[in-house]
Amino acid sequence: MKFGIFYELSVPRPFAGGAERSVYENALEQVRVADEVGFDFVWAVEHHFLEEYSHCSAPELFLTACAMQTKRIRVGHGAVVCVPAMNHPIRIAERAAVLDILSGGRLELGTARSSTWSELAGFQIDPDTTKQTWDETIRALPRMWTEERFSWSGTSFSVPERAILPKPVQQPHPPLWVTVTTPGTELDAAERGIGCLGVAAASFKEQERRTAEYHRRIRSCSPIGAVNEQVATLNFLYCHEDGAEAARSGLAMLGAFGQSNAHLLFTREAYPTRAYGSLANLAPAPARREGSPGDPSGIPEGMAIGDPDRIIRAIKEWESIGVDGVNFLLNALEQIPQRQVLASLRLFARDVMPAFRKGGR
Amino acid sequence: MLAGSADVGALARRAPKLASFDGEALTLPGVEILQVTYELGGVAPEAPFPPALHPTLPVLAVLAVWRAAAGPLGPFALAQWKLSCRSGARPRQLLVGSFADGEPARAALNERFAFAAAPARVRLERGYDRVAAGVELGGRAVLDVTGRGPLPLATGDLQFFSSVHAADTPTGLRLVQIDAEYAVARAERAAPEVACFDAAAFGLPGARLAYPVAAFVAVADVTLPRVRFVSRADVPAFAGTERVS
Repeated sequence: MKFGIFYELSVPRPFAGGAERSVYENALEQVRVADEVGFDFVWAVEHHFLEEYSHCSAPELFLTACAMQTKRIRVGHGAVVCVPAMNHPIRIAERAAVLDILSGGRLELGTARSSTWSELAGFQIDPDTTKQTWDETIRALPRMWTEERFSWSGTSFSVPERAILPKPVQQPHPPLWVTVTTPGTELDAAERGIGCLGVAAASFKEQERRTAEYHRRIRSCSPIGAVNEQVATLNFLYCHEDGAEAARSGLAMLGAFGQSNAHLLFTREAYPTRAYGSLANLAPAPARREGSPGDPSGIPEGMAIGDPDRIIRAIKEWESIGVDGVNFLLNALEQIPQRQVLASLRLFARDVMPAFRKGGR
Repeated sequence: MLAGSADVGALARRAPKLASFDGEALTLPGVEILQVTYELGGVAPEAPFPPALHPTLPVLAVLAVWRAAAGPLGPFALAQWKLSCRSGARPRQLLVGSFADGEPARAALNERFAFAAAPARVRLERGYDRVAAGVELGGRAVLDVTGRGPLPLATGDLQFFSSVHAADTPTGLRLVQIDAEYAVARAERAAPEVACFDAAAFGLPGARLAYPVAAFVAVADVTLPRVRFVSRADVPAFAGTERVS
C-alpha cells in the first residue's frame, strides 16, 4: 500500500491579506514533512476559477517547488487537463519532462478533461469534445517523450515533425494516470493501460466493483505506452491519539470541503450533454448518527479520520478490495491549524504506516 | 462559503401568499418547453439570494417557457426566470420572476404554488430551425429568446432541478421548494439567443444575461407535486429546513 498527499489548495475567504501565500507555504511545509516521514506521493490538481475550492491553477510550478525541497517523495502532476485550449499537448509533454528532470525522475503524470462548466466555459471549450481531445493527447504523450522527432496529424492538434525537448529521465517515460470522477472512467484507464487516480469519494462497495473491473479489463488493454496498473483512491486524513478529537477536527475538515465544493457548477448542470455524467457534491456522505446502526462518530465510511487503530482498520479495508494506494487531503479551507496537520502526518507515519509495510501487522 | 445577501425584510414584503400546504399535485401532459440558459452578470453572485442559499459560481440565469395546450388547467403558457444556487450542498434554482398567459391556469398556479405569475402575453413558437419564446407586458416585450438549430438528444441528457421561492406561508416567510418531475418524451439541444430581456420586469434590476450557455427544447409530462419541504430564508438550509407534508 502506497500513501500520498493530495492538494486542491483550497483558500478561505477573504483572499486578500496573504491567505493564498499562507496556504502555499503551509502546503510546502507539509510536503517537506511528508517526504521526511515516508509518504510516497505528493499530488497537485489543476483547477481554474474555482473560488475557495482550489487555487491550484499552476500545479507544475507548485510541484517544482515541492521537488526542489524534497529528496524522495514522487511528485504527481495530477491531473493536467488534456484539452488543447487549456494545455497544448506539446506543452504538457515539455513541462512534464522538465519536472521529471528537476525531480530526478520522480514524476507521475495524471491526466483529466475538467468536469466543471466554470472551467470549460472559461476557456471556451466545447464540453462535447473533451473526451476526444483527452484521448488524442494521452496517445500522443508517450510518443512525444520517446521518439527523437515527433509528428502528429489529428483532430484536436497537429504538428509537423519536431523534436519535443527535453526528454524525461524515467524510461521509457513517467507513469501515466487518469483521474476518475465519473463512474466508467476506470474502464478508459484500463483499456489504455494507465493508472486509475480516484478523485471523488466512493464507497467500499463501489470502489471494489470499479477496481475489480479495472484489473480485469487491463489484462487485454491496448497500451498507449508503458503500462501502469495501479488504483489509487482519495481520502481525508486526520490522525490523533484521541479519537474524539480526531472526529471533531476531521469532521470540521469534511464540512469545509463540502461547503467549498457546493459552489462548483458541474458541466452537466449547465449544459445538456451525454459527454458528462451527473455529479453530486464530491464530499463523502456523512455516516448515520446515533439512533441508527451507523457509526456514532459521524465519520463517513472508509475515511482516515480517527486514532491510529481506527485508521488502520479503514485502510486495511481499502487494501482488501485491491486498492494500491491512498491519497489524502490533509485540510480544507485551512480548517485545521498547521501545527495539528503536521502532527497528524507524523503520527500517521509513526503508528499507521508500519502496518502496511513489509511485515506490518 | 458565499451566502446570499438579499434583504430578507424586502423579500417578506413582496412575498406572495401561499394559504395552505395542502394543494393537490398537478400533472400537465405534453408540455412544450424552451429553456434558455446564460451566465448571470451585472450583479454580485450572492446578491439575488437570501442568506439561506448559496450561489453557484458562476450563477446560471435559466429562462424556462412552457406551453400547455391541454390538461387540468386548460391551455396556458408560463415563463419563469430562475437562478442556480445551492441549498446546503443540494442544487436548486431560485425562482425570481414569473409571467403566465391563460386564465384560470394562472390563478390556479399562483394559488397552489405561489408562483406570483403576473398576467402577460407569453408565446412559444415551434419551428424546425428554431424555437422562439417571448413575453409581452402591456404591449412591450420583456423577453424574446430563441433556441436555434435544435438537434436531438436522449431524453435522459436533460437535467432539471427543484426550484425554491419565497412565499408568505402558514408558518411565516418561507422558501417553498417545488420538486417538479419531468417525464421527457422528446429532447433537443439548441443554440441560445436573446433579442430582449428586461431583468427589472422579472424582478432583478441591474442583472443581465452575460454569457450564453445552452438552450434545450423538450416535450414532457410535468408533475408539480404537493409542497413537501420549506425552509427559512434567513438561516442555512441545514438549520432551517422543515418538512410540511
